[in-house]
Amino acid sequence: MRDSKGKGAKESGYSRRRFLQGVGVAGVGALVAEHPLLRAAEAPSPLPDATDRAISGNIEIVLTINGQPRKVTVEPRTTLLNALRNNMDPPITGPKLVCDMGTCGGCTVLLDDKPVYGCLQLAIDVVGKKITTVEGIGTPERLSPVQAAFGEHDAMMCGFCTDGFVTSITGLLKANPNPTEQEVREACKGNFCRCGTYPRIFQAALEAAKAR
Amino acid sequence: MAATKPSTATKPAAPAPLTWGPTGKHRLLNTRLPRVDFPYKTTGTAIYSHDVKVPGMLHGRILRSPYAHAKITSLDLSPAQKIPGVKAVVARVNAGATLRFEGDPIAAVAATTPEIADDAIHAIDVKYDVLPHAVTAEDAIKPDASPVFPNDQSVENNIRHANERGDADSVADALKSADVVVEAEYRTPTLHHCCLETHVVVVDYNGGDSATVYCSNQGTFSFPGDAAKALGLKRSNVTGVVHHMGGGFGSKMGIGIEGRLACELSKQLRAPVKIALERRDEFLMAGNGPGSWQKFRAGATRDGKLAAVHVEQYGLGGIGRGGLADQPYLYHAGVVYRTGGAIHTNEDSARPLRAPGHPPACFAMESLMDELAYKLGMDPVEFRKKNLTDDAHLRQLDRGAKEIGWIRRSGTPGATPGPLKRGFGCACGDWNGGGGPQCVVDLKIAQDGAVNVSSGSQDLGTGTRTYMVAIVAEELGLAMSDVKEEIGDTRLGNANLSGGSTTAGSLSPAVKVAALDAKSEIARLVAPLLGAKPEDLVFADRKVSANGKSLTWAQACAALPSGGIAVRGQWKPGLSSGGAHGACFAEVEVDTETGHVQVIRILDVQDCGFPLNRLAVESQINGGMVQGIGMALLEGRVMDAKLGVMVNSSFMDYKMPGCLEMPEEMLPLIDDDDPRQQVVGVGEPPSIPPAAAIANAVFNACGVRVRQLPITPDKILMGLAEKGALS
Repeated sequence: MRDSKGKGAKESGYSRRRFLQGVGVAGVGALVAEHPLLRAAEAPSPLPDATDRAISGNIEIVLTINGQPRKVTVEPRTTLLNALRNNMDPPITGPKLVCDMGTCGGCTVLLDDKPVYGCLQLAIDVVGKKITTVEGIGTPERLSPVQAAFGEHDAMMCGFCTDGFVTSITGLLKANPNPTEQEVREACKGNFCRCGTYPRIFQAALEAAKAR
Repeated sequence: MAATKPSTATKPAAPAPLTWGPTGKHRLLNTRLPRVDFPYKTTGTAIYSHDVKVPGMLHGRILRSPYAHAKITSLDLSPAQKIPGVKAVVARVNAGATLRFEGDPIAAVAATTPEIADDAIHAIDVKYDVLPHAVTAEDAIKPDASPVFPNDQSVENNIRHANERGDADSVADALKSADVVVEAEYRTPTLHHCCLETHVVVVDYNGGDSATVYCSNQGTFSFPGDAAKALGLKRSNVTGVVHHMGGGFGSKMGIGIEGRLACELSKQLRAPVKIALERRDEFLMAGNGPGSWQKFRAGATRDGKLAAVHVEQYGLGGIGRGGLADQPYLYHAGVVYRTGGAIHTNEDSARPLRAPGHPPACFAMESLMDELAYKLGMDPVEFRKKNLTDDAHLRQLDRGAKEIGWIRRSGTPGATPGPLKRGFGCACGDWNGGGGPQCVVDLKIAQDGAVNVSSGSQDLGTGTRTYMVAIVAEELGLAMSDVKEEIGDTRLGNANLSGGSTTAGSLSPAVKVAALDAKSEIARLVAPLLGAKPEDLVFADRKVSANGKSLTWAQACAALPSGGIAVRGQWKPGLSSGGAHGACFAEVEVDTETGHVQVIRILDVQDCGFPLNRLAVESQINGGMVQGIGMALLEGRVMDAKLGVMVNSSFMDYKMPGCLEMPEEMLPLIDDDDPRQQVVGVGEPPSIPPAAAIANAVFNACGVRVRQLPITPDKILMGLAEKGALS
């Protein structure tokens, strides 16, 4: 991959990092031009390679997570999921890394109240958006109705998918407070549970809708 | 002295066997208990090994073989070492080494971020001499196939033969006199565990003489020894931790290659290293459930007796073996001849997968029984009942038939008018399980009344924590919230690894023993305050009472020594048992225009002796049915025979059951007619019969017998076409 100015690929070869840098410029040029980072006067550090508008290296950004502004240093290719899990201190580990390619829903977060896969969002793309993780939905001491219903109906076993399901259903109930079971199934069709707790997840979602 | 006397005369009266107490009298056990860790698992605050972050931790990645069979001609790590942020690169093999499957690990790196580690893996320069391979059983047994184990004398043409059993000639004779004979081959593909938490190890080592290793593992005590060896430390100086783990299903035992590489990197760097397998790694190098190829000739007589079975059973375990449960599985046959073994291919080694060897054996045998029943014109439930050997199955078949509405079934396949055809099927399974003296449980009760029960055991999602708390709370008359638990740490009491459905059967008796001993000890100390004998004290409603007087739990515990009391419980016989039986019934709908199969209703009747927590047992049964739906209709590794690589090594292409595949109704039925009052673990058994029951229901619905799983639409449509029934 070579960018419009012939930079981006080194003679020594080809790496995913370079590839993504290239995509960042050539593939998503429009996005970069309008990127909030480029507009933000308060951007904490200048962008590397600003002359040809390629974004690479480390950038410090501020994400709004569960109502709190959080500074985090990322690369352009860093996904929101990895930013939450790896690049923050303390890390936010409710969203789970399971497939890293948008197939399983284990990393579901709410972006402006809508469920999205954290592994399919670049961290730099969600600056200025309202990010809610499962930690922001409730706490062990103050469970949300969805979380409480999951417990009551045993809608989890190993629990690794649970954060994603809780988040997806929370997003569903924000948009549709009284879903049918079919609507619950549709809303969660992007989430996998390998232990096989689906029937109880459906029950818990319907119960939570009633409790709200 | 005693030995000189007749033993019968001197034997002291045997102590009364331990029991869980009278059925129906429990306050907590055998009821529906929400799991105690749900507030953490639903809020992102349960910490899994994947979530562990220790100061200075580096991220590791593994370079894998892109070829099924190749020799490394050169290996240059230096390009990776030059990348800023890369701290260490280690080779697992050197130039000249042979790689035997796609995914065979070559080298590992540690870097400051996972992204940089990824760059480093791609930068390593490896040159290969690609060798011929065989990645399908058909290719592997061709006369000119490349040998997977060229130097192993016990492997012939890639077949590792098992011992023959029975007499083939007498089976041949019996087949001649049978009224009906079915000759059929059944095949199941390699399956994947697909634990949502991939294999992950965090080695917290900073130099010095001790380390802590966090690992997503089915046995807290199964990996620290290997870690100590790899780190060059004393075994007792390595602590293993498994607080929460995101699924194992048989694939997570021992430290694994990824764990050894993480230790090696950590040792070299004197810094903590985390290696979490990527999803593709997980498919390629972290084990799989073996495929199977089973060939039958079987005959039955008109009175419904299975007369003779000739079977060849091959496990397809890659470079591993892939054992199968022996045929004719649950059934009694007049004469049996059995042969087979393993067919090796250039694929990663199989590992145990939930009830290893049973679901594929069950699918084949239960399909065969169904075929024989239809040929005899006999109801498949009745035919099974004539040949089963255990009363539990007879009882369960009756219950399952009633619950599913077997009476609605037509004996004529494809009888439903119109393109959407309904059908019913059933199958049975069994599993040994059981428990033994492997667990040590510590129960501490403080002077302020705090209760803590602990063991080094682990909770795979099975509900270990919850029944530990419930057993103690039940015995001491406390609420669940009064008892705290601690598990998953080698500094706690020893425990067996969770395999073979043996955890509940081994651990729960030790908890019960600890609770009984603690109760006696408290009774001894508190009895004088109530002016009663210790054995007269009643522990209930958070009180200790006798003679019409009572003390609150806190008042009673004030009588304990200032350091509280600590008792240690170990397994005793009488409280757990082996031998789980189940029967599954399915109602499916086959769309004969598209070939799509939807499970409409499914139920699994499962005995479990004494159910510690009905909610958790039902969840296990649901889980078994869901995995059975996957095995029946969706799942299977697909290999490119020519390229030698797996073509569906992602959740995009390896299909697992999701929300839209769920039936309208799932009934997890605990078999309460099981007279045993002992705990029988049921992590695995409910996953055995569902795939077979669904396959049989598909035949009843549309008349297509699919003998090779998964039952995908193309196979249904081909089957209909062969019958001339394609509309």
